[in-house]
Parts: sequence; C-alpha cells; structure tokens
Amino acid sequence: MAVELTAPPPEQTRALYPDESGYVERDGVELHWEVYGSGEPTVFLLPTWSIIHSRHWKMQIPYLARHCRVLTFDGRGNGRSDRPETGYEEQEFAADAITVMDATATERAVLVSLSLGAQRALLLAGEHSERIDGAVFICPAVPLGEPLPERTRYSWEEELDTDEGWAKYNRWYWLRDYPGFLEFFFSQMFTEAHSTKPIEDCVGWGLETTPETLVATQNGILDEGHIRELCRQASCPILVIQGTGDAITGSGRGVALAEETGGELVLLEGSGHGPHVRDPVHVNLLLREFLASLPRRPA
Amino acid sequence: MIVAAGVREETRARYPDEDGYVERDGVRVYYEVYGDAPTTFLLFPTSPISHSRLWKAQIPDLSRHFRVLTFDPRGNGRSDRPGSPEAYSYWEYVADGRAVLEATGTEEALLAGLCDGGGWALALAATHPAAALGVFAIAPLVPRLTPPHPNYLLYPPDVPLDTDEGWAKCNVHYWRRDYRGFLEFFFAQQLPEPHSTKQIEDCVRWGLDGGAESLVLADQEAPSPWASEEDARALCSRVRCPVLVVHGDLDACQTRERATAVAELTRGRLVALEGAGHLPQARHPVQVNGLLREFGESVAPPVPKVRTWTRALNRRRRALYVSSPIGLGHARRDVAIAKELRKLHPDLEIDWLAQHPVTAVLEAEGERIHPASALLANESAHIESESAEHDLHAFQAIRRMDEILVANFMVFFDVVREEPYDLWIGDEAWEVDYYLHENPELKSSAYVWLTDFVGWLPMEDGGERESFVTTDYNAEMIEHIARFPRIRDRAVFVGNPDDVVPDSFGAELPGIRDWTEQHYDFAGYVTGFEPVADREKLRHELGYGPGEQVCIVTVGGSGVGAHLLRRVVAALPEARRHVPALRMIVVAGPRIDPASLPQHDGLEVRAYVHDLYRHLAACDLAIVQGGLTTAMELTANRRPFLYFPLRHHFEQNFHVRHRLQRYGAGRCMDFETDGPSEIAAAIAEEIGREVDYRPVETDGAARAAKLIAELL
Repeated sequence: MAVELTAPPPEQTRALYPDESGYVERDGVELHWEVYGSGEPTVFLLPTWSIIHSRHWKMQIPYLARHCRVLTFDGRGNGRSDRPETGYEEQEFAADAITVMDATATERAVLVSLSLGAQRALLLAGEHSERIDGAVFICPAVPLGEPLPERTRYSWEEELDTDEGWAKYNRWYWLRDYPGFLEFFFSQMFTEAHSTKPIEDCVGWGLETTPETLVATQNGILDEGHIRELCRQASCPILVIQGTGDAITGSGRGVALAEETGGELVLLEGSGHGPHVRDPVHVNLLLREFLASLPRRPA
Repeated sequence: MIVAAGVREETRARYPDEDGYVERDGVRVYYEVYGDAPTTFLLFPTSPISHSRLWKAQIPDLSRHFRVLTFDPRGNGRSDRPGSPEAYSYWEYVADGRAVLEATGTEEALLAGLCDGGGWALALAATHPAAALGVFAIAPLVPRLTPPHPNYLLYPPDVPLDTDEGWAKCNVHYWRRDYRGFLEFFFAQQLPEPHSTKQIEDCVRWGLDGGAESLVLADQEAPSPWASEEDARALCSRVRCPVLVVHGDLDACQTRERATAVAELTRGRLVALEGAGHLPQARHPVQVNGLLREFGESVAPPVPKVRTWTRALNRRRRALYVSSPIGLGHARRDVAIAKELRKLHPDLEIDWLAQHPVTAVLEAEGERIHPASALLANESAHIESESAEHDLHAFQAIRRMDEILVANFMVFFDVVREEPYDLWIGDEAWEVDYYLHENPELKSSAYVWLTDFVGWLPMEDGGERESFVTTDYNAEMIEHIARFPRIRDRAVFVGNPDDVVPDSFGAELPGIRDWTEQHYDFAGYVTGFEPVADREKLRHELGYGPGEQVCIVTVGGSGVGAHLLRRVVAALPEARRHVPALRMIVVAGPRIDPASLPQHDGLEVRAYVHDLYRHLAACDLAIVQGGLTTAMELTANRRPFLYFPLRHHFEQNFHVRHRLQRYGAGRCMDFETDGPSEIAAAIAEEIGREVDYRPVETDGAARAAKLIAELL
C-alpha cells in the first residue's frame, strides 16, 4: 500500500521540546542542534544517513531527557541543517559532531547511533576516546560480517533495466522516482507487521531532502580496514542492539561489530532495522540500563 | 510467646564447597566458601548474638552469581569463645574478616554486613581500601556516629534492675539469668513485621548457640573502638569504595539517622525499606537478594553475553510449569493437565521447572525440563530427613524448608526474568506462590495456582504453640490473597467443594470451606490415568491367578515407610490363617533394602514394580500410607485398601482422610494402636470386598486445563 506522500507533512506535536537549540557553522555549513534536559551524562543521539533527520529519535528523547541530558543535531543534508552539494564524507559528520559538542559545552558524551551513524560514532569513539564514555550501536551499517545477498546484486552507479526490489537502490532510480525509492526503502527498514506509521514518518522526513543530496552522500563511507582499526581504538563500553529481521543491513553486521569491539550484544528477535521506533519501550529500557551500567566518573 | 527449641540444623539449600578455620592469637574462627565466581562477596557475621546462618536466605542465590565467604563470629557458631573482653573488640572482628580473605586467597571483595557486621565491613574498607570493592551495609552499627537507638537508653545495661519488663531485658544480669527470655524479646522487637514466627525462632536458636557470656563480653565489656563522634565520622569518610546502606523504618536497633549518616559520609546510597525491621535479609529475602546482586553487578559488571529479546507478536506461546516434588503424585496429574492444555492450545510450549522425582516422570513422558531445574535445592531429601518412624511432621517440615523455598524462588525468578512466559503454573509450588505475594511487583505473567488442600492444621499434640503458628500461617495467606487478588489469576482446587475440610483456619479466621469456595475454582480430582476397564484381563497380564487373593503393600519412594512394611509383614502368618489364598507383594522402593525384611510363605518382596498403578488396579487389597495420590488411585479403581496416615502429617490425617471418607473409600488404620493382629483381621475383612465408593470423576485434567487455558 503506497504511502501517497508527495511533500513532507507539517511536524507533529512533540512530546518534549528542546530546552535549548541553535545553529553552529563549520566550513560554511550550518548545523542545527537541540539540547533536552540536564545533568549527567550527556547522551548524544547522532545523525544517521541523511535520508532522515534527528526526529527519528522522537521516541527516545522525552524518556532519556528525564534521566540525563540529551543532545541531537540534524546531519548535513536534512532537517534544519544545510544541504551542501558535496562534503558528505564520514569524517565531515564526525567533525560536525565535535563542533556541536563544543558549541553546547559538552565535554563528554555517551553516543547512540543508528545504522550509518555507526561509522561516525566509531570515528568519535576511536579518535576522540577522551570525550566518549560509551557507545550504543543500533543496527550498525559497517562493512563487517556478511552483507545481505540481495544488496550486492545491483549496481548503484549504473543505469539498470529493472526497478524491482533492491534495484531501486540506484542513483538513476532515485532521480527518477524519489518517493518510490523512499517507500521501498522504509518498507524494508520496518519489516515488522503493522508498521504504517513509522514508514510514513520516515518517508515524510525523506521528502525534506532531495535525491541529489542523497546521491552526494554515497562517496564518504569508511572501508573495512579503517573500521577495524577504529574498533581496536575504541576503549569505552559498547552495546550493540541488532534486529534479527534487519532487511537493510542484515543481522550479521551488528553481530560482527559486537565481536570486533568486545561489546555487549542484544539481539531483538523479529525486529527490523529501526527497533528504536518500532519497539521503543524495550530500546529505551536497554539504553537506560546501559547508562546505569557505565562507571561513574569521579566528581 | 513460646519458641520451640530446634536441635538439629535444618537442611540447607546450599552447602559450602570449602570450609576451614583461621587462627589469630589462639582464637579459631570458622569460615565457609561457596561457589567460584570471579568476584567475591564477604558476608560479615554480626555480634555473637547470632552466627553465619543469618545469611541462609542469601547464600544459595548469591553464590550462583558471586563467590561467597561467610564466617562465624568469635563467640558463636563454630568459632571459638575466648574468655577475655579484649578478644571481642571491634577491631578483632575486622581483623578476622581480613584473615578470612587472606586464608581464602581473596585479594579484594564486596563486603556485606548487618548491624555490627555492617560497621566492621565499613571499618575494613576504611583501613584496607585495596581489599574493598564495595560495602553493602544493612542497618550498620558504627559506635558513637550518632546517638544510640532510644531503646538502649531506657535502662542501664550493666546495673541490676528491679524489673524485667521490655527493654529492661537488655541487661547483662537478665542475660545471665534468662538468656532465652532476652532473645525472644529482642528478636520479636527486631522482627516487628507480622507473621515472622519462623525468623524469630531461627534467631533465638542461633542466639542460644552462642550463649549469654559471649554477648556480655562482646557487647558490654569489650573496649570501645574509638572515643568520639569525630572518630566515627572520620572512619566513614575514609571509605572510598561504593557504599549501599539498607535500613528498615521499623528498625528497633539502629536508627535511620545513623544509616543516613553512614550513607552521606561515605557518599553512598541509602535504600529505605518501609514496614521493615532490623533483619530484612531474613524477612524480605527476595528484596535484599535483588539489592545485593544489583549492587555487586554495579561494582563488578558480569562479562557481557549475548541477550535476546523477542518482539511480542513474534513470541511463541509458552508456559512454565512448576511442579512440587513433595509427594510424587503431582507429576502424573500435572502431565495429564499439560496434555489437556495442549489439546486446547496446540501451539503451546511447556517448560518444566521441577526436580527429582518429578523429573523422572517428565523425562519418561518426553516433556521439556528447563535446564535451570538443575539449580533447584532438593526438597524431597529435606522432607525425608525430617521424618522418623512412620512419622512426618509435615507442617514443621515445610516451615523448616524456608531456606530451600527462597533459594528455589530465586531460581524461578532468574528464569522468568530472562525468558518471558505467557503463563506460570504452580502445582503446590509454595515458593512461587508465597514470594510472589510477598513481592507482588515481580509478577510479569499470568499465574495459576493448583492445590489439593487448603489450610494448615495443627496436630493435637502440638499444643497451643502449633495452633498459634498454623493460624498465623493461614492468616498471612488469607491477607496475601485479600490484598493482592491479582497475583493468582486462577486458583484451582484439585477436587470438589465437599473435599474441603470443614475446619476453621484458626481463631478469628473464616471457615476453610467457605473461604475456599469463594477463592477457588474446582476441577474435580485428577488421577492422571484412565480407570482400568477389564480388570480380569489385567490380572492375567500381571500373572495374578483367578484363585489368588493379591495384597499389595506399598509405602512410596521414601524410607519413611520401613516400619509400616515390617509390621504388615509380621501380620502375614495370621492373615494367611484367615485367608489361605493370600499372596502378599511388598514393594520396598528405592530406599528400603528388600533383604532387610523377613521372609514368609506367600510373601514376595520387590525393590521396584514397573507401572505400580496397574498392579494396584488389579489387586484384591492394598495397604498404603495416607498419601492422597495412591489412595485416590485405589478409590478410582474401586479397590479395597487399608491406609495408615503418617503420624503428625496434618495433610494425611485431616485433609486426605476427610476426602476418602467422602468417597466412602478405604479403611483408616492407626499406626499407634493397630498391631499385626488388628492388621490381619482387617485384611481378612477387606480383601476382595465389593466396594460402594463414590465414583471418581475422569474429566478432572480436562476441567483444570480449561480453567487454565482461558488465560492464554
């Protein structure tokens, strides 16, 4: 059933509005950040692939903000942040994150990332370990473990003679039928039955950016060797939350990341690629439990 | 209040893996080691008013997650009782704790203590920080830190008084005169929660193990550890490790002010227990066990492992069946109910949390036994250890099983915390039912309670005390159900309303029949088998000739029945004179050596009989104890039988007997008065008799399953 959205709907009423928000500029790109709540630690909800923006954390923010300080920002390419024509390398997202931490006087933080956000989270945990007290990876998109076979079948770069299934993950198709791609992609993200609302939300957020922007994001992903190096460098406590029914990355990615980092692994049986949206209560409790397990820093 | 004297140590849920003594200045201190987990908990004792058994409700659970060390304080338990006050100083106990760590090769540990022990744990952490990973202090006694509890200021402790009333008993002269009187008073104050009779009895017994002189030396004559409040504050401030202080608001020994001061000075956390007294580890063991584990894991996180959580709609339908091992009879009825339940919900997966001998039946039936079953403390061995010559004080045996019950509840709770079930079924799973009502927030599934009797009843020779205690147990149960009706989603009585005894729960409590009818559904009796259709054919199959008069004598699987077997065998010659064709088959069971029984013509002694219930269905007479299952099998198959209720077994003497009378089944015999002659005469009268028993329903399992299935 098609979602039939052609333009982003107005933002829904939020359960909690930020206590502070603002913009910070880095190399000419304006980044929009928000802070909720106060106290220790700061939980930094990182941007994922710019196909969506920081609102995908909407199920986490009100809960976490009652227990700690929550920091979010829109990744370049979506939301209230700028959409430069180029500059979507992972290092740019990581540098943006550090800039946002500095702008909000956030000396240290616990990272929570989704999917592609794992790559920038690893850059932060590996290269700025003194500022990162812990990292949670939800369905991480990292080149470890086995990819899903259906995702290796079609070229992204070359024009294809089919639009079937993952053939839609193709720059030519994006530019030709962007809403069609969004609907396909998010139907794969939420494989759980009865997921109409999460899919609609994500399609709406996807419509806030352009296919051209998404095309520009496709060049900056880290390679396997670099990821393994960062896993070795990361010294903070790590939790990986992985859906066993993840049709975007497959569950092998998360399992492999937990192994590579020595982190704790929670498998969500029957969950897809967005369990924080589809099973928010359980993910919220896992996040809170992880936060409580972190060693308290000396005052 | 009269406290019954207990002589023998109760069966423990968990015995130490190692034990030994450390000796300092000629004083030997006894310690125990449980488990081999990487992180150690040292459980300090408290003053010689008690000993290390005060942790009995913690050790079995804690040692599944941590290595646990305990020791007896000098002055009680298996430790020495030196004669000088100096040997009982505060710092000697601290040094004993350190010596136990060293003797067991423990470089660092989580230190837990209650009252004095909490203070000693803090003192060890303050003076040897490298040894302390954390301090868990229940109602810690840190002398001079705050004013003592007002109870201790009412009378001088060392001057002869002209009264023994109330806190005047806290006086060395009274201690020497009537130590038991002091202990009974003191622990009643420290366990102010209603329904604490068992905990008070335990504490009094442990106090008597030490004696008044130890307490005089340790509590009154030993030198003070420090001189001032400032010293006490300085000591607490030196503690650098994480600290958790637990304090009950009804504590009559240590004040909330003192507990708060300890938490503040150590930068620790205070957990306030409302409605709790000085000994929450005994009276609220599930809560305290949870706090201990949580504290231990916060300081020493367990090695991460892969966890799985399954989305609600992706879950298979699952039930956890907890089947009591006391009396093998439950196994077959529970299997029958499970089979009926699967007819109604073919997709239902059932895991069993059970122990031997129930597991033997379950294995034979191909049922799935949850691996955590191996962690359960053995209940039937305890029951057997409590029995004597044709005698089992069933109520006291269950009371004296409180340590095993809480240990097994913790196993149950660990299982259901890790694995979501749609339904918990407990067939006389006392531990599940009791501790769920004591900790209602832990209920996270539908729950069905099954039983075949309601009401603890006192035996006549138990006197006022037994009547008081059974009434108290009934009262607590009634209050539990009234206050938390949501715990039991179904309470199923295995039987009919008329099977419920006409007695009262006790003074000022309702009648058992009325209350049970209001609070239970009735499934009818569940035999777990189909009645025999063609008895002659069965006799032929089993090799019983048409002219033979077959008498089967069976006393179940335990050793309790040896005396009854001997007496029945002794009746055989005379019985044969009355009944020449008598063929007596004695089933000795696994615990009685067949060779230990005398030989007679017409007597066959067998160690084991396969499918015993078929022989019981085929026989001309059975001679049994007063257990419900076997008696009801005989009733259902319409066989004549003699039954001898075990002495002091309230269930066999009251509940089962009442039910059998209703069915008009069996002939009740008395082990006290019925000798071989009486037995021979009864055999002659009963054997082969046509009976007019009330028929036993055959749909009990299906009815029980239907009641349960509605919750799925």
